[in-house]
Amino acid sequence: MRAPFTVLAAVGAALLVLPQFAAPYYVTLMLPFMAYAVVLLGFNLLFGYTGLVSFGHALFIGVGAYTGAVLTTRFGVRQMEVVLLAAGAAAAVVAAPVGALCVRYVKIYFGMLTLAFGMVFYTFLLKFYRLTGGDEGMRMLRPSLLGQEWAGFSKTAYLIGPYYYFSLAVLVLATGIMWRIVGSPFGLCLKTIRDNPVKAESLGLSVPRHRWYAFMVSAVYAGVGGALLATPTGNVDPTLAYWTQSGNVVFMVLLGGFSSFFGPILGAFAFIFLQDAVMSVFPYWRLVFGAVLAALVIAAPGGLMGLIGSIARRSPFEAARS
Amino acid sequence: MTTTRREFLKTAAGAAAIGAVGAPARARAQAKPGVPADPVKIGILAIRAGIAAPVGTAGLRGTEWWVERVNKAGGILGRQVQLVVEEESTPKDTIERYRKLILQDKVDVVIGGISTGVTLALGPVAEEMEVPWLSWDGTTQKGVEETMPNPRWSFRSVDNEVEAIVAGQLTPKYFKGVKTVAGIGNDYSYGHDCWETYQAVLRRYNPDVKFVLELFPKLGVTDFTSHIAAIQQAKPDLLMCSFWSGDATIIMKQAAAVGLFKTMKGVFTTAGGVHDSLKKEFTPEGLLLGYNTMYFDDPKGGPLLRQFVREYKAKYNEYPAYECDHAYFNIESYKAAVEKAYAASGKWPSKAEVVRALEGIEVESLSGKRSWRQDHVQMCNFFQGITTHKNAYDFVTINPIEVVSTKTAMKPAGAKLMEWINSWKI
Amino acid sequence: MGGVFHAAILFLVAAGLQLVFGVQKIFNLACGSFYALGAYTGVAAVGYFIGRGGSPALFIVPLVLGGLAVGLVGFVVERGLLRFVYDRDETFQLLLTFALVLMLEDLIRMTWGAAPTSTGGLYLGYGQAHVLGTVVPVYNLIVIAASLTIALAMGWLLTRTAFGRIVRAAADNREMAEALGVDLRRVYARVFTLGTMLGTLGGALVIPATAAMSEMGIELIVEAFAVVVIGGLGSMRGAFVGALVVGVLRSLAIAVYPELEMLLIYLIVIAVLLWRPRGFFGAAAA
Repeated sequence: MRAPFTVLAAVGAALLVLPQFAAPYYVTLMLPFMAYAVVLLGFNLLFGYTGLVSFGHALFIGVGAYTGAVLTTRFGVRQMEVVLLAAGAAAAVVAAPVGALCVRYVKIYFGMLTLAFGMVFYTFLLKFYRLTGGDEGMRMLRPSLLGQEWAGFSKTAYLIGPYYYFSLAVLVLATGIMWRIVGSPFGLCLKTIRDNPVKAESLGLSVPRHRWYAFMVSAVYAGVGGALLATPTGNVDPTLAYWTQSGNVVFMVLLGGFSSFFGPILGAFAFIFLQDAVMSVFPYWRLVFGAVLAALVIAAPGGLMGLIGSIARRSPFEAARS
Repeated sequence: MTTTRREFLKTAAGAAAIGAVGAPARARAQAKPGVPADPVKIGILAIRAGIAAPVGTAGLRGTEWWVERVNKAGGILGRQVQLVVEEESTPKDTIERYRKLILQDKVDVVIGGISTGVTLALGPVAEEMEVPWLSWDGTTQKGVEETMPNPRWSFRSVDNEVEAIVAGQLTPKYFKGVKTVAGIGNDYSYGHDCWETYQAVLRRYNPDVKFVLELFPKLGVTDFTSHIAAIQQAKPDLLMCSFWSGDATIIMKQAAAVGLFKTMKGVFTTAGGVHDSLKKEFTPEGLLLGYNTMYFDDPKGGPLLRQFVREYKAKYNEYPAYECDHAYFNIESYKAAVEKAYAASGKWPSKAEVVRALEGIEVESLSGKRSWRQDHVQMCNFFQGITTHKNAYDFVTINPIEVVSTKTAMKPAGAKLMEWINSWKI
Repeated sequence: MGGVFHAAILFLVAAGLQLVFGVQKIFNLACGSFYALGAYTGVAAVGYFIGRGGSPALFIVPLVLGGLAVGLVGFVVERGLLRFVYDRDETFQLLLTFALVLMLEDLIRMTWGAAPTSTGGLYLGYGQAHVLGTVVPVYNLIVIAASLTIALAMGWLLTRTAFGRIVRAAADNREMAEALGVDLRRVYARVFTLGTMLGTLGGALVIPATAAMSEMGIELIVEAFAVVVIGGLGSMRGAFVGALVVGVLRSLAIAVYPELEMLLIYLIVIAVLLWRPRGFFGAAAA
């Protein structure tokens, strides 16, 4: 379902003014949401548009996060823009060989291969502790945004102010770029490959090559998201790359709706805030989340966007529009 | 299940969260002058899931026991204590819960933190948020030097390596003629640091000691038969093991199945954390066993310890381990600091005043006296001893018991660990 | 020898996994959770037995019974959840099992708490034996023998019984089997329950020598996954060979180059997936 322009504009406006009237904690909660939204935009290029489910995307989130940590602590690079570019580039560098190997397989084998690679990276981060800090991880120092240090700001003020808007800008940019990608001939190729790989081949499309491109793009997005994710925490550690984190990524996309462009973004939002609400009051929140996921898979595979769509379709509003 | 008291929460998105049962007892009328009447909110970070869950549970139980007693006696300066408990999990998620405790729940102090990754990440954040943070556990040298060089708001637990130091000091006393040593520990900072420290200490007493094998299985491994076989092959005089959770019990069992400790000595620096699962049937006498900072059966233990052990056993059918006292000390020292600052100023202290009052304060904790050093590090006693079957339980206890203070077993403020160890006069 | 014990347990879990995948084409991420469930139930069953005056020498009986009994949960899961997604994409089936992992983890924690629990030293009561120059607990040998027996029994079941023939037919060609009148619903329910019971039994059997710990299921899934990849998805013989390979390699790695231990397994998985994706015995890759 395509979100009408008015809805988008309203959401955009709300996001812009949120820090002014929302409680500071909830503004800080928007930051992982935006980071995951970036990750999911890329992930859905692979999942929704190309039909491949990666169970190891936490690998690239980890690569992006550790890039940020390494750059700010070991190389003295403090500009967030450089960090983001480097994170994306690092993810692409890792994704190239990994992707080349993985895209030759589909469905369950693809999922399993990506899971294996993700866990290799996790194990590497954990074991080579002299290099990576092991379970203690590495610090990520507060980066400068648009050249400004914002030194006068406390960390909280920095996060709910300049960093919030910076992340928002990155998210908008990422969304815009992804919109162009899925609307381009390349995007069309991907959809064709997803729906009918045999026909795509007969039309002259190199199926593995296109999947490989999609894989790399999704990895770049995950890397950028990972770097965004690391700054508020100030520390990166191997748990960012554990397989259950990859599972969460898939969960989020499913929650939002993978067949819609904006579904993943909605999924990230719903997941983060639902997790926050449930974690504070119910120690067994994993049970709740498992049940939600099960319900989604069984009853609402289109996710929230799917539900919204079916409600809208039944409403007179939609009938009037068509 | 925890028995915490929580407020009713409304999220910004408008979804109402379900509040937990049990509102705090109404604020007593004895609230003192200069003291607000509403309850004082204390944030707690406790591990609930995963391999360290029992440790988190122990800490939470110790805290809850303290809260019940203190609230019955009127609270802190007449204010009832209300715990706000959040889960400690991965560093990223725990930082978010921590921010929630401070920004949203507006707690006066946060207490908790066990795993090394989390406590390291939490240090700088605590300094940024300017709210006192008293950590239960989990502090290692490197991390502290890098991330918390001059803490103002953070209060760290004892150095992680102290029990390895104590074990290293006691080894030559109880096990003479040890020439070769093997080590096994978990594959993360704690395991590695303990082993390095133990080696450094042993070398001071016997420069010719040889370390023939080191194994670092991942946390969560449940099968050590291959590791034990490798240890048997290496034929050391002594095995040092720094496991602190269920894996300590497992390796003890599997070692007994092949009679490992009939041919070598054993040093278990931290297995006291699961002491009541070390049953006599598979735990031999004559091992050096460390209980960290609390030994439940201390003959010199005061009435407070006895009462705690009694009530803990009655409620949970287990015997408490050291994390209970880390937790107890933290919250008790907070109360003492508040009272000390109040005595000086006549009103409920600000967070900065609490921090100042905490430095150097000493309180009576479950295991004896504990205090905060000026550089925000905990000072207390460590308990280690030789395992014995001569007791009324179905698990081992220790006799003789060595009580070693952090004054001698922990590096002084400003010192570097290895340099300090190498500077000892033996 | 330790590697063989580990392999014996891994085989049970992997066999359950393979059975389910072979017939229903679902990779059950929750197999580790069922393993954990069997472990905790086994401890509880033994505790109950001993508490009522049962002889410690017979502890293996309530252990096995407890482990098998809780495996019936698989029936509930299959009828209650899984059957809704048989006609869906594999991804959704996988995600449903991931949901199961989350739910079971908390359910186990709710029921038994987070502290490790075990049957204490009961298994030592069976004594030790000398095999190939090393000392091995007799209990471990019993488990290895049991696992072998089950492997043979599974083989017999699949090749010589009517049920086995139906199962293999459904695995090879679902539509054809249905066309020939096979009641797939019943087959699926039984297969999944059987697969679950193998997993819970594995969990129960391993406990006396180790302990039931939080998140043991999540840890195991990665190893089980390696086993079925190496052995080949859907193959019983593959489960056997894969379990042996993983178990023995692990103990070799520990003896020779401990640093590599876990990494080695993943690298082998990747290598197998790349060069021989069907593993040793699996069907052709998709």
